[in-house]
Amino acid sequence: MKQPEFDDETLMAYADGELGDETTARLEAALETDEALAARLAVFLDSRATVASALKPLIHEPVPEALLTSVRRMAEKAGPVEDGLERKVIAFRQKQTAPSRPIHRPWLIPIAASLVAVIAGFGGFMLGREIGVTGAGTDAALAAALDRETSGNDVTLSGSNETLRVVASFRDEHGDLCREYERVRHGVSTVSIACREAGTWVTRLALSAPHAEGYTTASAQETIDAYLSSIHAGAPLTPEEERAALAALR
Amino acid sequence: MTNDMLTVPERLVAFLPNLRRFAISLCHSRELADDLVQSTCERAIAAADTFVAGTRFDAWLFRILRNLWIDHLRRAKTAGPQEDLDQASEVSTPSGEAASDARMALLEVTEALQKLPEEQREVLVLVCVEELSYRDTAEVLSIPIGTVMSRLARARKNLADLMGISIEGKRSSGMKGGVA
Repeated sequence: MKQPEFDDETLMAYADGELGDETTARLEAALETDEALAARLAVFLDSRATVASALKPLIHEPVPEALLTSVRRMAEKAGPVEDGLERKVIAFRQKQTAPSRPIHRPWLIPIAASLVAVIAGFGGFMLGREIGVTGAGTDAALAAALDRETSGNDVTLSGSNETLRVVASFRDEHGDLCREYERVRHGVSTVSIACREAGTWVTRLALSAPHAEGYTTASAQETIDAYLSSIHAGAPLTPEEERAALAALR
Repeated sequence: MTNDMLTVPERLVAFLPNLRRFAISLCHSRELADDLVQSTCERAIAAADTFVAGTRFDAWLFRILRNLWIDHLRRAKTAGPQEDLDQASEVSTPSGEAASDARMALLEVTEALQKLPEEQREVLVLVCVEELSYRDTAEVLSIPIGTVMSRLARARKNLADLMGISIEGKRSSGMKGGVA
């Protein structure tokens, strides 16, 4: 057979995790000794990382209110969604059948949020790993606080003037621990839901609004409800359950 | 994802930030992106029954959005003398500050992306940002998988050239200096 040769597309497929096992093995063997080959591969690894780090954070941008409202109205007009929303909320509430647990979602009440919504999408983003809205330092402090703090306490994130309050903890359909929390910074309040995935907190949803305590707009609440039911969120953990869940993270 | 129980309109609202990111990545204008997302949602709701449960919802929506974007480009092209998009440059690039920056010689990623031909930009965004597989990307764009790969490889080499990425150079320039 002739010398193994690797064209750009093969190198790229390797960088993207799309290369078959056999070729991967041959390529990896060649990479050990061939510096020029490694340099060519680096172009594909680096370009992917560069584009990803530049564009992925766009997902944190608040969806303009007009667009959100318009699409929600469209969705409602489509008919099934209203039944759907009801069905989802019922489905969500059904999980809260334990007698000691409130029927209403009390942890939603102190949320201050407006129509401005940022939903992190199904992919979510990694705290402390991608460029967060407030910088990596804060994200690390936030991740540490989420590991540690029990619900209902206000804490100041180390190295910032941001206040954090964990509103509640619950589990999603996969049994992953999720925490709903509120951050207040420069008069802006952000309510987020982050879930523990593969050892990291991944933000699933974030709603930002001028800080005003004590109420949630109907629209923000709908968004949160729709989101929680879409991940089949369970009832909020009791303080004992939460303590056990946090201890298990350590 | 176990979102299959939800209807298309229900899933649409939760997917908005993702859809908007894709739109901004393609057209580099938030205003245009929002119009595009809005039209995509209208189209998706109207064609909800063409979505096959169990298939990728994101790929289905990206395909709708991308086709609307291509339509828009075509119309813009025939509407009058327009810059060839493949050659498009400096269309929406605020230059002043960027030029005075230390990285003068290097183009910012987003600027460099805007200089790529549309067909290269879209594969790049679908694979590297939205993390679709080559196969899913081929389906979104209705092109063979081999074409996805050749375009994607060209896009990345072009991007590296435009940004002056040298393998050693990039690592160090990625580190930011002092903290304010």
